Amino acid sequence: MPRIQREASVAWEGSLSRGAGVAKAGTGAFELPIDLPSRIADKPGRTSPEELLAAAHAGCYSTSLAGEIARAGGTVERLNVACTVTLDEVGDKGHLIVSSELDVRARAEGIDAAGLERAVQAADEGCTFSALIRASASVSVRAELESN
Amino acid sequence: MAAERRASVTWNGDLMSGSGTIDEVGSGAFGQLDVSWPARSEEASGGKTSPEELIAAAHASCFSMALSGGLAKAGNPPEQLRTSAAVTFVPGTGITKIALTVRGRVPGLDAGGFREAAEAAKKGCPVSQALAGVPEITLDADLDA
Repeated sequence: MPRIQREASVAWEGSLSRGAGVAKAGTGAFELPIDLPSRIADKPGRTSPEELLAAAHAGCYSTSLAGEIARAGGTVERLNVACTVTLDEVGDKGHLIVSSELDVRARAEGIDAAGLERAVQAADEGCTFSALIRASASVSVRAELESN
Repeated sequence: MAAERRASVTWNGDLMSGSGTIDEVGSGAFGQLDVSWPARSEEASGGKTSPEELIAAAHASCFSMALSGGLAKAGNPPEQLRTSAAVTFVPGTGITKIALTVRGRVPGLDAGGFREAAEAAKKGCPVSQALAGVPEITLDADLDA
């Protein structure tokens, strides 16, 4: 199997509370401003490390589930995966990522609710990111099969 | 106070020939980013992002913020930090390595002090802690020449 390397870079200017940075994707797919207020308060229009992780987890999980449904003999029509990552202050440990919650709606043929439930579990086990983050935070998946 | 961050993806079709889109994120900062298995698992991504690239961006930005905060707390606020994170992904195995590289312009601080602060940021930033299961996380830190 090939080793794939993906790179992103950040240029940060100034202090943590008043400074700001820009995160650029190596592939050129995005270039995003980041700063502290966007991370700890709700500030529309600016992303944060946790939002990028939520996008990574939703992306990782959806590819994993597409593979598992096909392996179970089903045909994926559409998957909607939403992910919520929570950063919280934990006692004297400071800020930690405490949970990542996945909410899945699947439209697929050739698989029933029980089969989907098994695919959902297998996809969670197979998703690299679920396994990594589970070492220090809780990961939950809620899935629902949409009828055609 | 807990901060929740949300993103959603729509996937169409199977794994190998289907593709997905990161439709939207809670902040509205980006959306409609295409993702696919070939973009993820092949050398050339064709300009598409991948979970690993998003993790690289999350780690580089978390580390930069932690380092900026740590330097300022010790009385040496940085003028500029340039960080890159390279995530190595082996399909079937997972993420095997993250290499962080940082160059900084920090008035009044020597290279040893900068490296120490960078090590502390690598250890303490929330994304590093969440990714503690990655087998190898390296750091190359230096001041601008």
